[in-house]
Amino acid sequence: MSLSTHNVCVGYHGKTIVNQVSLTIPEGKMIALLGPNGCGKSTLLKAMARILTPIKGEVHWCGKNLHQMPSKGLAKQLALLPQTQPIPEGIKVKDLIAYGRSPYTGFWGRLTKDDHTIIDKVMQETGVTALAEQLVSELSGGQRQRVWLAMTLAQDTPYLLLDEPTTYMDLNHQVELMHLLRQLNLSGKTIVTVLHDINQAARYCDHLIVMKQGQINTQGTPEAVLTKDMLRTVFDLNAQIHRDPIANTPMCIVEDK
Amino acid sequence: MMLSRLPFAWQCIVLGASLLIIAWISLFSWSAVQITPMDALHALFNMDNTSVPQHIVQDLRLPRTLIGILVGASLAAAGVVMQGLTQNPLAAPSVLGVNAGAALGMAAVSTIAPWFGLLGTSVAAIIGGGMTWTLVMVLGSAWKSGNDSSRLVLAGVAISALCAALTKASIIMAEDQASGVLTWLAGSLANARWNTFDHLWPISLFSLLGCMALSPTLNILQLGEENARNLGASLILTKLAGSFLVLLLVASAISSVGSIGFVGLLVPHMAKMLCGQDHRRFLPLSMLLGAMLVVLSDIISRSIIFPMETPAGAVLALIGAPFFIYLVRKRTL
Repeated sequence: MSLSTHNVCVGYHGKTIVNQVSLTIPEGKMIALLGPNGCGKSTLLKAMARILTPIKGEVHWCGKNLHQMPSKGLAKQLALLPQTQPIPEGIKVKDLIAYGRSPYTGFWGRLTKDDHTIIDKVMQETGVTALAEQLVSELSGGQRQRVWLAMTLAQDTPYLLLDEPTTYMDLNHQVELMHLLRQLNLSGKTIVTVLHDINQAARYCDHLIVMKQGQINTQGTPEAVLTKDMLRTVFDLNAQIHRDPIANTPMCIVEDK
Repeated sequence: MMLSRLPFAWQCIVLGASLLIIAWISLFSWSAVQITPMDALHALFNMDNTSVPQHIVQDLRLPRTLIGILVGASLAAAGVVMQGLTQNPLAAPSVLGVNAGAALGMAAVSTIAPWFGLLGTSVAAIIGGGMTWTLVMVLGSAWKSGNDSSRLVLAGVAISALCAALTKASIIMAEDQASGVLTWLAGSLANARWNTFDHLWPISLFSLLGCMALSPTLNILQLGEENARNLGASLILTKLAGSFLVLLLVASAISSVGSIGFVGLLVPHMAKMLCGQDHRRFLPLSMLLGAMLVVLSDIISRSIIFPMETPAGAVLALIGAPFFIYLVRKRTL
């Protein structure tokens, strides 16, 4: 298991948000991080992606402290798609995606033929080939999200960490994205994604990790995790669990208050 | 603009050729002793020792033009790096207090301890600029991620005002040095000689090359700090190296010719209009444009009340202010 946290506390401005979390990411699986707003799921993801340094505890990559490893080497191992992205002025879609190759390019950032092949491939996978010559700042929110995803995929890492990748996307692109992630997962990538749609998580992911107030509440397969009890204690919801008629995965239907 | 449609290599060639022509014009134009365009060329290639105009070109005009080129390139590159590091389109040495701090350092040394000479004032400029730059970065919380860009500019304006006040105070306290310091504060190439050039070029060349080396990382920084870190860029190292280079560039330029503003603020935006947002391209174009702008301002500064000289810094402000307003109105910032 390559990625794990050991008694990790993470927070901002001295305030602890993630408290004493020890977690091992099961390799080769598609994992969803779930939980109510403010439970620390994004914060934990950022600590695993070395964007945030833990206040206490360690994040390990292959048994070593991730936050002390050379950043450029790690950029070939794990890639993060942040939740909110800046809107860069005057950068074309194809150029933005090409920056995803920068951990691999030499000092001057010159792209090789292989780099171009990978860029073309991820542009096709994310459906942004037609947007290649447009400016990122001129795209709609959903299109822009797909372009950033393409940049993250161009990093070509065995581990992908995504923070609410479906936000801003309309339904068909959400479905396409989840299918794409599934395909990438089947081709060998480990995917950890923060999702807010519990049913989407249960349908497409193998392993759910539920957080509450900065700690792991429960984790396991969708069948084991998605229960009435969990929804009541974590999300304060009364809900029924049914079977998804298409995928036969568990899904929750919320009852009236 | 026609130039923006040309391929990058041609833009470099056109700008490079324009710079050479402007530099050539600056060698012979507006001189109290008549210098012909051919004199300027002869002085460069096969000097006729008896010719007074050719001596003027070689001893006065050539160092002046070369210093103009280096100062322009340095200030423009400093602007590019500062805008890249802070992700703030208004960042520039003059806006973020580096000019004012370097000026204060120089004014303090030249009024309190004038016996230090040129080297002492250069060091004072570096120290003064470095202190204000650090102060502005801390006050504007530019080291934290997700910084608020207006805070940085406000901190810069406040610190600049403070330094300007202290500079004026130090001039009043040592009146015999005042006129020298005042000329210097306005920024002028009139006193640029070979010994200034000898001090300037090694630092400028080193820092300009350093900025070029930084440009791929500045590209990634445009994607925001989270993405930059995710792509393996070392933010702390980049910021430290970038700040150090900016200081070297600004302090060496300012200690040579005085406080010249607007170049660092405007030129990066002009270059971006020509070739887009790739630092590997618009940094060298900025250097060329900055050099052109400063040498051109120097020519104009000699022509306004010929045979007297006006400070090139004032001419730059006259060109720069309207262009800056145009940029703000167009919201290309």
